[in-house]
Amino acid sequence: MINVLPRGAVVEKRELLLLAACVLAIALFAIASPFFATADNAVTILRNSVELLLISLGMSLLLAMGGVDVSIGTVMGLAAFVIGRLLTAAVDPSLAALAGILAGTALGMVTGAVVVFGRIPAIVATLGLLGVYKAAIYLALGGAWLSGLPPTLTEMLQVRIVGVPIAVIVIALSYGVIWLAMRRTPFGLHLLAVGNSEEKARLQGVNTKLIQFSTFVISGTLAGVAAVFYIGTYRNVEMTIGSTLALDAIAAVVLGGTSILGGKCSLLGTVLGVLLLRILQNGLLLVGVPSLWQAVVTGALLIGVLSIEGLSGRLQLKFAGATQ
Amino acid sequence: MTEPFLLAKGITKRFGALTALSNVDLEIRRGEVLALLGDNGAGKSTFIKVLAGAHAPSDGQLLVEGHPVSFNSPKDAAAAGIATIFQELALSENLSIAENVFLGREMKRSVFGVPFLKRAEMKKRVGDLLVELDAHISDPSAAVGSLSGGQRQAVAICRALNLNAKMVIMDEPTAALAVAETRKVLELTRRLATRGCAVVLISHNISDVFEVADRMVVFRRGRKVAERLRDQTTPEEIVAFITGAHADVRALEKTR
Repeated sequence: MINVLPRGAVVEKRELLLLAACVLAIALFAIASPFFATADNAVTILRNSVELLLISLGMSLLLAMGGVDVSIGTVMGLAAFVIGRLLTAAVDPSLAALAGILAGTALGMVTGAVVVFGRIPAIVATLGLLGVYKAAIYLALGGAWLSGLPPTLTEMLQVRIVGVPIAVIVIALSYGVIWLAMRRTPFGLHLLAVGNSEEKARLQGVNTKLIQFSTFVISGTLAGVAAVFYIGTYRNVEMTIGSTLALDAIAAVVLGGTSILGGKCSLLGTVLGVLLLRILQNGLLLVGVPSLWQAVVTGALLIGVLSIEGLSGRLQLKFAGATQ
Repeated sequence: MTEPFLLAKGITKRFGALTALSNVDLEIRRGEVLALLGDNGAGKSTFIKVLAGAHAPSDGQLLVEGHPVSFNSPKDAAAAGIATIFQELALSENLSIAENVFLGREMKRSVFGVPFLKRAEMKKRVGDLLVELDAHISDPSAAVGSLSGGQRQAVAICRALNLNAKMVIMDEPTAALAVAETRKVLELTRRLATRGCAVVLISHNISDVFEVADRMVVFRRGRKVAERLRDQTTPEEIVAFITGAHADVRALEKTR
């Protein structure tokens, strides 16, 4: 992949395009359904975006590094199970939350170790882990939902700091810290170099294994944080917890302009990609499309974006060849 | 004559029953471009891999500035000031020129223990290097993916210089380049030597070699069969050495 875009621009064409798509979708749904353009529904859409925003942040790094994690939804599920169990045992909600986050970190380490030290392609390794984690959730739940959890964590998360909900602060902080790490520290350079070509990065003196491992750990930790908000909102752990998250996250991240082949990352694009996806899913539901179709829309978006990118990439190469 | 930067004594490399290099003695001096010539499989690649730390020799000794060294990895060689520019350039196309030159050894300042990049300083340093090399690249923040093959060679050379390499090994740097680009890269090679680097150049192109090299060494079947100063030889003689048509080579190969 040849990236000839001017680097360092804060907002690129892709992000403006996504913003326009969001505005267009909002306008169309507002016309189509009287329930869409309401304050309540806006809150619902944002509320539904919390976990996906956190998971997609980790997924952006993974894709930019040339990796992927299709098991990330079940990582959130297992972390949520840990939090749920601790809450029913009347453990302090902040401790339960911390334990959930650490569970995410630990699972990130497992995934990272399997991929990096087992030298297994990320897509295959995480597909295998998806099966294992899914079974672990089934076994842990013993065939029944973990429901009716005590509201202690939910109450704790109701805190607002200068009027801003805690979820917004956590998400802003996570994106801010990772944006800085990507733009201003060697970590970001090394991660993008690994995403371009692991072999070349290694020859240039990058510790590629460390970069790969730590990216999986960051992604797992963020899934743990997502689990905290999940339990805070829904107060239950169901069998299929997180099953659509990995697909949603990959679609949102790719929509946002991060390269599925690695080497290019846009965090602002990821935020817009998540919002567009959630707006579409919410709006389609409100105009009466059965929720079964949500995954179809997500999948179609993902494939559509990738094929358009593939086509424009080929066209660019053609023109580049013609001008030389 | 000053002390050579690198001295190879009796370097031999065996792969099982196959002897890829046999008893090679060689001196490499600072400020000099040394060309390694030879047919495919003659042993030049094996030899530079020994110099670059990628292969450990089965026998023989390397001395850097008079001190015996043994390289267990390319990192050891790099620490001794030896940089290798491979034909398949190890550059990250999605990063800028400045980022590539510094990748793995960035300039940083620590803020609360977090290493932040000194982007402006790195850019300036690379900008100065590019001017010094007369590389005709104006913007160090351009992506390497947007550069031509010759310009990428210049970036790789910049990277070697920035790592304070005292010896630079270049493996077929002009193999995939157009004529004008080849000129430029040969100029850069020359300039490296003028700056006091020892330069080892591997090339198949005899006219390129005669343009830049001070000294030429010909490998054949794992042995060093000839060593000539440029002024004391002709392209015809070198070709005869490479192909084995030269009387000296015939005599040498009969004794084996």
